[in-house]
Amino acid sequence: MAKTILAVDDSGSLRQMVVFSLRAAGYQVTEAVDGQDGLDKAKAQVFDLVLTDQNMPRMDGLTLIRSLRGLPTYQKVPILMLTTESSDEMKAKGRAAGANGWLVKPFDPQRLTEVVKKVIG
Amino acid sequence: MTTERHLGGQVKDLLSNLSGHGTQHLNEIETDMVQTSLLLGEAIGKLGASFMAIHEAVVAQREAIEPLLSGTPPTPEMAEQLRARQEEIGRHVSAAVTGLQFQDMTSQLISRTVRRVVGLRDVLGGVANGTSQLLSDSNAEEVIETLATLNKVLEEQSVKLESALWKAVCQTHMESGDIELF
Repeated sequence: MAKTILAVDDSGSLRQMVVFSLRAAGYQVTEAVDGQDGLDKAKAQVFDLVLTDQNMPRMDGLTLIRSLRGLPTYQKVPILMLTTESSDEMKAKGRAAGANGWLVKPFDPQRLTEVVKKVIG
Repeated sequence: MTTERHLGGQVKDLLSNLSGHGTQHLNEIETDMVQTSLLLGEAIGKLGASFMAIHEAVVAQREAIEPLLSGTPPTPEMAEQLRARQEEIGRHVSAAVTGLQFQDMTSQLISRTVRRVVGLRDVLGGVANGTSQLLSDSNAEEVIETLATLNKVLEEQSVKLESALWKAVCQTHMESGDIELF
């Protein structure tokens, strides 16, 4: 059975690229348009991995991670940030919030797939 | 004399605040626009190159397939050639996917620019509102009070805008970014 991934980003074109890349590698990808939508979808279904942007309306990525880590079902689910933010300060905040990795945009599809494979197989 | 000095100080503060805020907003707009232009240029170049490369690889693949369609039995060399073409197309598609992400980054920069423009308009609107309360026969104390209020509003607007802005997109090239696993 295909591993499931929740891709959270307010940019439709970016989500399209993530879906294109990960579906080609055999993953089942669900899209969410912002942190709040991501949280709602994560509550409805437990995904094998969450890939989230940081700067989004309604709820940002760090808040989403903290909210997910507060749910018993998401304490061990890998969460990766995929964002334009690249400062050490933000990475430290992400790590403290419970992120398992930090990917700076733009991403290379092959490298993204390799990282996802390394994290969830 | 003290009142005049006070008035002069308030006018100076107001002009200095106006100049400071205006320059700060315009500098940020200039930086974001320059970066948007760089990213768009990079992306268009990258996408154009990917498009041409994909086109050439597809033509070569079609030429490799044609003998098979006309009945020539497949050879290991032909199979290897097709595999190589397939991989080549995959590489160019990956490069195109990286290039296509320009929309996400430039839209963030444009969104920051719009907020800056709105911020600048609010500053100017605030000054217009504040000064409209001044009457031509207002005395020095009233003018000082109005200017002090205006200066306070300007400070508050600046803090409010800075806290509402997302951090600037620092990337100036459409190359894939760093990956760090914790």
